Parts: sequence; C-alpha cells; structure tokens
Amino acid sequence: MVEEKERLPREVVAMRVAKELPDGGFVNLGIGIPTLVSNFIPDGSVVFYHSESGVLNCGPLAEEDEQDIDLINAGGQFLQMVPGMAFFSTVEGFAMIRGGHVDVTVLGAHQVSATGDLANWMLPERGVGNIGGAMDLAAGARQVIVAMEHTDRNDGPKVVQECSYPITGKGCVSLIVTDLAVMEPTPEGLVLKEVAPGWTVEEVQKLTGAALIVPPDLREYEL
Amino acid sequence: MPPRLDELTMARRAASELQPGQVAALGSGLPARVAEVVPNGAAIQLLSDGGALGYSLTGGADSAGGPSLCGPNGLPVALEKGGSVVGMADWAALLRGGHVEVAIVQPARVSAAGDLLGWTTAATPGLFAPGRTVDLAAGGCKVIAMLPHIGSDNSPNIVAESIPVADGRSCVSMVITDIAVIRVEDGVLVLSEVAPGWRFDDIAAMTGAPLSPSGDLKEMAPNLEHLKTERPGKVFPDGPSAITDLQDGATVMIDGFGGPGGMAHHLLVSLRDRGTKGLTIISNTIGIARIVNFGTPAGKLAIDHSILVENGQVAKAIATYPVSPSASRPSTFELAYRRGEVELELVPQGTLAERLRAGGAGIYAFYTPTGAGTLIAEGKESRVIDGKEYILEQALTADFCLIRGHKADTLGNVVYKGTSRNFNAVMAPSARVTIVEVDEVVEAGELAPELIVTPGIYVDRIVIRPEGFSPYE
Repeated sequence: MVEEKERLPREVVAMRVAKELPDGGFVNLGIGIPTLVSNFIPDGSVVFYHSESGVLNCGPLAEEDEQDIDLINAGGQFLQMVPGMAFFSTVEGFAMIRGGHVDVTVLGAHQVSATGDLANWMLPERGVGNIGGAMDLAAGARQVIVAMEHTDRNDGPKVVQECSYPITGKGCVSLIVTDLAVMEPTPEGLVLKEVAPGWTVEEVQKLTGAALIVPPDLREYEL
Repeated sequence: MPPRLDELTMARRAASELQPGQVAALGSGLPARVAEVVPNGAAIQLLSDGGALGYSLTGGADSAGGPSLCGPNGLPVALEKGGSVVGMADWAALLRGGHVEVAIVQPARVSAAGDLLGWTTAATPGLFAPGRTVDLAAGGCKVIAMLPHIGSDNSPNIVAESIPVADGRSCVSMVITDIAVIRVEDGVLVLSEVAPGWRFDDIAAMTGAPLSPSGDLKEMAPNLEHLKTERPGKVFPDGPSAITDLQDGATVMIDGFGGPGGMAHHLLVSLRDRGTKGLTIISNTIGIARIVNFGTPAGKLAIDHSILVENGQVAKAIATYPVSPSASRPSTFELAYRRGEVELELVPQGTLAERLRAGGAGIYAFYTPTGAGTLIAEGKESRVIDGKEYILEQALTADFCLIRGHKADTLGNVVYKGTSRNFNAVMAPSARVTIVEVDEVVEAGELAPELIVTPGIYVDRIVIRPEGFSPYE
C-alpha cells in the first residue's frame, strides 16, 4: 500500500529547497515549510532575507525577553535586531519584489498546476482568504519555488493538471519540492526531476493530479 | 520709459503672494531668487528643484551652521530647522500629489490662455530639455510665472495665440514681469499692478495679447510682513482632541501586520471612544494581532482594528490580509463579514501599497503584473506589454490617516522605529488629514534632515502616546 510508505519529513523538504538558494541571494520565505528553509543554509553560504513587514537582512526570531513590537516579520513574529538590517516602507518592500530584486521566494501552496499556476490564498469552502504578499511575490520574484506536502489531508493531489482553487499567479512556479518529489512545471507539462528514497515513479504518479514527464536523468532526492 | 524692476523686486512681489503655512516650489532662474527675499523665520517652506524642502540661502559658505547644499541657480543653501531632503520621485510626488501650494517658474513665453513654454524658443528649435518645468506646471497648484515683459529682441513674451508645443496648458494664473502683474482669468489677461511710473497704455503696447485693466489697478508695492508670523501648531494635547472632525462615513487608513506593533493604538482607542460609525478602514490586516496573539500578556488582548469592528463602527474594509490565518479561530472582522455586517475589498499587499503611494503622489492609476489572470483582475482593464500581462489599478486616498511614528518634530517630520515604518510611511501622504501618534515630540532641527522618513508636509497633527500606554487591554 502506497499510503504506508514513509514520506520525507518537513525538515528534509526544507533542506532540499535550501540547496536551490543562490549564495548571496535575496530571498523571501513564506509561512510553513518555507520558514524552515532558513535552518538549512549550507555552511559558508549567505542568504539575505526579505520580509514584507519592511525589513531586509532579517535574522532569527527574538528570545521572549527581547521582544520588540516594532521589530517583526510579515507573520507578526518578533525578530532579533541583527547587524546590517535595513528597514523600509511597504512601497519599497514591494518594489523590491516586483522590480525583480528578490531572487527567490519559497511559498506554500494549496495547489500547483502542471504549468506552474499557483493557488495558495483561498480555500473556496472558507469563502474568504488572505492574499497578503503572495500575489506580488508570485508575479515579481525572479524565481518562485513551492515547498509543500505532496497531497492534502485527504490524500488528494495538490499537484494538479489545472488548479480548481482561485489562483495566486499564472505560470509562475518554476520548481515544486514536496515530501515525495521534486518537479518542474514547464509549458509542455510537469517534469519529474527527483523522487524520495524508496518511492517509485508509479507510486508518485498515483498521488499526483497531472501526468508526470519522466526524463532520462531522473534521480533520487538529492540533498 | 520709467525704469524696469530689478530681479529682487520681482522676487519680493512673487514672495508676497505666499501665505503662512504654504509650501512653494521654486524653479530655476528668477523664481530661485524668491529665496533671497523671504524673511528669516517666515512661516513658509521652500522646495528646491534639487529636493531640499524647507531651505534658505546661506548668503555664503559659512554663514549658516547647516550642511551646505547646492540650491537653485547654483547658490549655496542650507536646510532650515525642520527642513528635510527628498529624492526626485518624491519631489515630483509632492507636486502632483497636491502637497505644494504654489509653484513659481520662469517660462520663455506665456499665452493669454495661461499656457507656458519653458524650454523651446525660436532660438532653440528642436532642443528638447523640458527639465522640471513640466512637473512644476502640472502640479495642480497655483502657478506663478516670472519673466521679463519683453524678450531681448524686443518681442513680447506674453502672447495672444496658443503656443503649439507648451510645457503646461492653462496652468498659469499670475504673471509677474519687470513692469507688471497680470492675472490670467479664463483666458483674459487682467493688468492688476504696474511698476512705479508705468501706465496701462505703455504696458498694453508691450504685451502681445489683449490686456484689460483691473478695476483696482495699482502700483506694485510688495509687502512681506504677513509672512513674519508663527507657524500654525501641529501638536494636539491627546488623541480625542485630534479627531474631533472625524465624521461618520469617513475613510480611515490604519497600519497593521500580524504583530501588535505599527499601529496608532492610542488613536485607535480614541476613535472607538468617539464612536464614529460607517467607517471604511484601509489597512493591511483588519484585526489580526488580536488573533495571532504574539507577545500578548496572559489575560490581555492586543489593541487592533478589531476594537472598531467589535464596536459596530466599521462598514467596509480594504485590506490584504483580512482574516485569521486559521479558519478555526476567526477574527472579529471575519465573524462580522459572515453575518453580512461589513463589506470587504481584498487587495494584494504590494498593490495596496502602490495604490496608496499613487494616491498621495497624484498618479491616477498604474499597471502592475500582480494579480494578472487571478480573481483580482476581474473587471479591471488588462494589457499585455512586452509579452507580459499587466492590470490597471487605481489610486486610493482617504479622509484620515492614523499613523504610528516613533519621533516627530514640531513641524511634523517623522522617523519610525524598526519595521513599524512599513505602511505608516506609505499612508501618510495619501490622506486629507494625517495624524501621527509618536512616543516623543522634539524641536524642529533635532531630527537629522537626511534621516527624516515622512517630511512634515504630509503630517497635519501630532499626538504624543500617553506615557506607559499599553498596546494590550
């Protein structure tokens, strides 16, 4: 049974995404698995984090006794003051995004389509959702990586032929990293790049809502 | 013929048009000389083409203590106490956004219709150098043209016919020359003042357009005494006293991310106490800090937009992140939304920021790639430019803006602390009345001009957050 097989933990997904970040790059991390990515930057590499709350070069979260309500990330968590931090207005924060100055954003998703459409701001059953910075990041960051579980709570596919949820951006996702696979949406369809150890292409395909194109250089998940 | 006025007398006549509390943008040439005649300590601010807001001439390199800046005409200027510096985009935003009351320019020609031509003359055909004249002319403020009445070839600089390629159309309302002051009234030129010794007929003969004498035609006698007055104060004793004119149905901007910071809590509580109804709130979140709860002491609740929703004061929210991240813990706003008590306009965060910026900067609309192909694009014009799809988004403005600063000076210049700059600095220029809540008010001149984030031109009222005020209740 496919369901009994072990999937990769969130930390490993984050670790795999971390490999994609350019040394010295400016990166915006979304909530969930993306947030974990910052724990796995390889030694000797530097990544500068951008947050929509209006800060560049933000670092770790503050200890409880050092919390300052005027020093937060986009989620409202308290940040440590670190050397080299820069503060700016939201206009500038989003000019950085839309102007192509943010190299990579890592976002969670409800659904991603085979051609890279992203849906991550609203679940139709709730009837209302939060866009926050997601649409700007989807439209403006130089590279959009999605980090998420391969399937939803009911084991339904989150990687789909076409998004049924309202989308955040069209054709914006360049890489999908899940707890089962690494995939690349292309205009021709979804290319399976890597699979989790112990999983076969067929097993991953069963849990994927779009046809996987299997290239000759398919590899096991590489960390 | 009687003597013509010298440049400084013309400058004095232009300066006498200014009123206390106004900001005047000076172009180069004759207008720049207005700075030489404005009395010390006058209750106005001058904006230079180079981006100095609130400057005066130093009269020499070492006569003033401030940093030496290059002003219009290359003259050394210094920032006055409470002056600040702005970049070119902000300089243009000040003009287009209606934050400058008077622009004084020196065109080559002015027409009876109030058109002005600044950069192309018969002598310079094809020379394309409009510089900043076009921006000064288009700002929508009162435009005063200063120029010699006739050109060096003795041809009139004030002409009847429309100027084929103008730098500004129907923008000039007053012309000050070396012999006359002329008002442009619906395409009719009215001579209102003459230089000493000059007569209407002589001036009319030197004017290339029909001229009518004003009923109270008089001799020019510039007087600047009215500028030697106290500036209107901006510091209010407390929150309630600063919002007495905030009426039912108003649109109000308030910042807020997921944390308790960045919000003008004392003003929020003052607005709740005032009980104003039917408000449209423009904000990033609309009461999320209370749900997210970071840093909230046990048994307390964060003060945020929820207090207005709870009190039945909100009719509509324009927001980017309006509901709780968790569906199982709905915010006050989400509950009211589900009951159909409030409307919601959902906007992407960067689009909200840019719409606010546009509102404060006199830009009517802009194309953004954000939201193209999504629900947000529905009903909006879209356009493919260079192979990429963009949607047209419109500017947003508000009646009031309640912003949270860290320190302000008495002129309303503001600096922020940490990330609390984010939407506060964007909203400040976009409201009719901007009220800032700060921890401390200092004297003008105590904030480093280069570090001022929100120049006082955008700030109408200042309230000091009560000492020991808690963002939790």
